[in-house]
Amino acid sequence: MRKPLLPVVPALLLLIAVVLAGCTGPVRSFGVYESKAARTAKEEASAVENARLVVQAATGHKAFGRYLSQVLTETGDEASSIQSTFDAIQPPDGRSDQLQAELDDLLDAAATTIAALRTAARRGDFGAMPRLAAPLAGVSRKLDEFARAHQ
Amino acid sequence: MKKLLEVALGILTAVGGFVDIGDLVAATATGARFGLALAWVLVLGVIGIVIYAEMAGRVATVSHRPVFDLVRERLGARVALANLFASFFVTLLTLAAEIGGVALAVELLTGINYLLWVPPAALLVWLVLWRMRFQVMENLFGLAGLTLLVVVVAVWHAHPDWSALLHGATHPAVPMGEGRPTYFYFAIALLGSAMTPYEVFFFSSGAVEEGWSTTDLIVNRMNVYLGFPLGGALALAVMVAATLFLQPRGIDPTHLSQVALPVVLVLGKVGLAFTIFAFFAATFGAALETGLSCGYTIAQYFGWQWGKYVKPAQAARFHLVMLVSVVTGALLILTTIDPIKLTEYMLVLSAAALPLTYFPILVVANDPDYMGSKVNSRISNAIGSVLLVILVVIMLAAPPLMIITKAGQ
Repeated sequence: MRKPLLPVVPALLLLIAVVLAGCTGPVRSFGVYESKAARTAKEEASAVENARLVVQAATGHKAFGRYLSQVLTETGDEASSIQSTFDAIQPPDGRSDQLQAELDDLLDAAATTIAALRTAARRGDFGAMPRLAAPLAGVSRKLDEFARAHQ
Repeated sequence: MKKLLEVALGILTAVGGFVDIGDLVAATATGARFGLALAWVLVLGVIGIVIYAEMAGRVATVSHRPVFDLVRERLGARVALANLFASFFVTLLTLAAEIGGVALAVELLTGINYLLWVPPAALLVWLVLWRMRFQVMENLFGLAGLTLLVVVVAVWHAHPDWSALLHGATHPAVPMGEGRPTYFYFAIALLGSAMTPYEVFFFSSGAVEEGWSTTDLIVNRMNVYLGFPLGGALALAVMVAATLFLQPRGIDPTHLSQVALPVVLVLGKVGLAFTIFAFFAATFGAALETGLSCGYTIAQYFGWQWGKYVKPAQAARFHLVMLVSVVTGALLILTTIDPIKLTEYMLVLSAAALPLTYFPILVVANDPDYMGSKVNSRISNAIGSVLLVILVVIMLAAPPLMIITKAGQ
């Protein structure tokens, strides 16, 4: 009896690919840790720039408060998630400890500022947003420099 | 005059119904990361869907039977089962992503967590599938999807440097900081968004639902030759908007709300209102199409009575499959899986499954026993065959690229 022609092999390959794509192995060297730190900085810079764009929209009264609050909530959650994912990686050596401390300062600054913006948006205090967002330009630049330096 | 109106309505609904959550996510993600360096993939995808949807529509119009029905008869149960296996799985994932998209659109409007909107969205999808007439459903949500034209207006009002955009599209280059594997991974996802399998099943089954005859072949051609490219232009506008506003700031979009940001910055609150409505219309319309396609594929494979042209009681198993599919899709989203991540994975899986969907259509469209004198022209066969080779390469490349790039990271 012939076997039914099901696309079992391609389906399995794709399933394996999906699973492997989501896997992260332990970090055993400075080089790997550094590349993960650079990746984290790039992702955080994306969240920071997104928050700045939302502030731009809020300043120009270009969006409903509910939308601004929603986008900032998502951005804040993302910033927190990026930081907790990075902090979950064990630094393999002393140099990595330094790198972690340097990046964590930037991640903290970004997360704190975005959280303040989120609170302001929830309270409808859109006028305060440009002032609250002021540190983000510097944080974004530093994150970008960090990502480039450690790529 | 009546025919002309019918053709015009068909084109408009084809345009409005073209874009779904996959197009929104893929076009924004590629625009934000690669600018217009992947615009050629969108063009290729539109050519692909035009060629194969025209074939599928012609097959259904000439034979009065949908493609899937003929695939089983012409190529046998085993090949049709492979086709069913790949297409149904991808369509079910797409349905889940569309239900998630509807919930996300309502969340943008209300600020209430999207998970709370999943059950009502699924219920509404099922109610419309059960109660609303096919043509009313198709026309209503197709026309509502045209509100996505707001993105075109936003791009126009942004006064971009058109020559720079054209240069970026015609001289594709991998941007600094991005690798070639990631570039090709996103190319696959973008192609998957334009050539999603459910579109041909919906299109060919729709031709039977609407009782098309050979006199309607012109409607078929106009829908695909004009409607689909114009629909593709909407997806291109989304990509351009992301290129203009997100790419310069290095923003990698991860939420549906970010797709709306460029429109908000240019057109303000009115633009935002239109965009949220467009998201709802596009995802809800696609949820209906994917829900129907789930029912079509299963019912046509097993030879059950199917379609909305008969009362639900006469096609009970067809309606049951749709109900189970909608519930499964909703439950998948309720697991708290990120709908946008699900869409990204779905697009690549969809692209990998494309040869299994499109090869049988090419075979049936060349069979004179079914098609008589309306078999494929040489041009259709040439383009269709070249596309098929590309799709096979994509099928082979998708798994390693997914692993190497960690799903496009």
